[in-house]
Amino acid sequence: MGAAAYILTPIIGLIVGIFFMGLFRIMMARIHWRYGPPLTQPIIDIIKLLFQKSVSHGIIFELGLFFSLAGSVVTLYFVPIGNICPLKISGGLLVVLYLMLIAPMGIALSGGGGANPNISIGISRKMLLALSYEVPFLLIILTLMVHYRTISLVDLVNFQRTSGWAIISLPIAGIAYLLILPAMLGIRPFEIAEAPQEIASGLKVEYSGKLLALYYIEHAFRRFLVIALFVNLFLGGAGEPFTFLLKMLIVFVLGVFVNAVFPRFRIEQAIRFNWTWPTILALAGLIITYMWGGHG
Amino acid sequence: MGNKYSLWAVYFCTGCGIIEVPPVITTRWDAERFGVIPVATPRQANLFLITGYVSLKTLKAIIRTYELMPEPKYTVGFGSCPINGGMYWDSYNTIKHLDKYIPIDGWIAGCMPRPEAIFIAVTHLWTLIDKDMANGYIKYREKYQYYRKNQESVLGKLAWPPQFEKGNVHG
Repeated sequence: MGAAAYILTPIIGLIVGIFFMGLFRIMMARIHWRYGPPLTQPIIDIIKLLFQKSVSHGIIFELGLFFSLAGSVVTLYFVPIGNICPLKISGGLLVVLYLMLIAPMGIALSGGGGANPNISIGISRKMLLALSYEVPFLLIILTLMVHYRTISLVDLVNFQRTSGWAIISLPIAGIAYLLILPAMLGIRPFEIAEAPQEIASGLKVEYSGKLLALYYIEHAFRRFLVIALFVNLFLGGAGEPFTFLLKMLIVFVLGVFVNAVFPRFRIEQAIRFNWTWPTILALAGLIITYMWGGHG
Repeated sequence: MGNKYSLWAVYFCTGCGIIEVPPVITTRWDAERFGVIPVATPRQANLFLITGYVSLKTLKAIIRTYELMPEPKYTVGFGSCPINGGMYWDSYNTIKHLDKYIPIDGWIAGCMPRPEAIFIAVTHLWTLIDKDMANGYIKYREKYQYYRKNQESVLGKLAWPPQFEKGNVHG
């Protein structure tokens, strides 16, 4: 592996992320009893956007997007995809927790340069949503750390391969994570930051052409990252990339079903939901794990 | 490149023609098969469907929306009213020939056209794009003085500066 993994990881992330975007649209169409676009539609869209003229609102407006894209790619280096993991450091989980915030911060920075009221509303909604799901998320991560007595993502995956998946040994934390997964992915019912019908697609209202293409690529990376983290933390990772991607596909399909069925929450409903059931479950899981003691 | 199969229509409702658009983009006719999806902002759109009669007030919004869209962009007049006024042919407040004010790449005649007509228009627009005949946005750049003069003749003095200066056709 070595240096090749640094190139391979973003390529896998990009291809799988864009494949997921296409699959998302097809599956949504079939659930709505439509025929739907071809699987290659996101690729066509991104190529079209790259060749379109784009309107810029200054240097921060463009740099913020690159900042967030770089944040997503760097985070991907710490997340093992099967046995491909360029940066196997001992404190990987903590680093991922910090780096995952760079992508939304970059988008917020970029939106600040846009000076459109819809962007301001979108940013405030996105940040509030991040605030609401970070509380149960941190509790869940703490549960895993206590149970396995490690802060290394790679060690966590290795422990699960010897002693069974975390979703079976820590079912309460697993259910809490599943409940906040739509909020982390930004799909319905937590699509509030990008609601096209209410705030004219919020954050991305001023992006056009090449900048919008960058935004979509960042979105593909982000979606890949969140699902890959869930598979690593609770579904035991995998020995090789193929099994790993298969597990990701199953989690993703579950997310699409949730997205197709539920209507959008209002912002205060979303926060109330995230701060009640997932937080209570995560806290209960943490206390139970702490009482019983970890096994690592 | 790739424009052909990824036409994103701006969600702009002028007249009664918009009633035909919800069935087109939803389950019954499913425009997403053709890559046509509605987007909420003109910054991301490259297809402009003008659905129905255009009053003077709407014309102002149409011109601004059209100028906000990134190039290459395509416009389609939907229904009889944008073509020649339709049933509002003697109205004092309705634009009769929309193509005097912004360039139109294609027309769909009818009052109302069926939703299928939108798909015929889209496939026809594909052949026009292939033959480089859907060049309304280039025409707008080159003959901007003509369009601006027509716009000012009905709307009075416009509140925004000209998009293209004389001689500077690249914006």
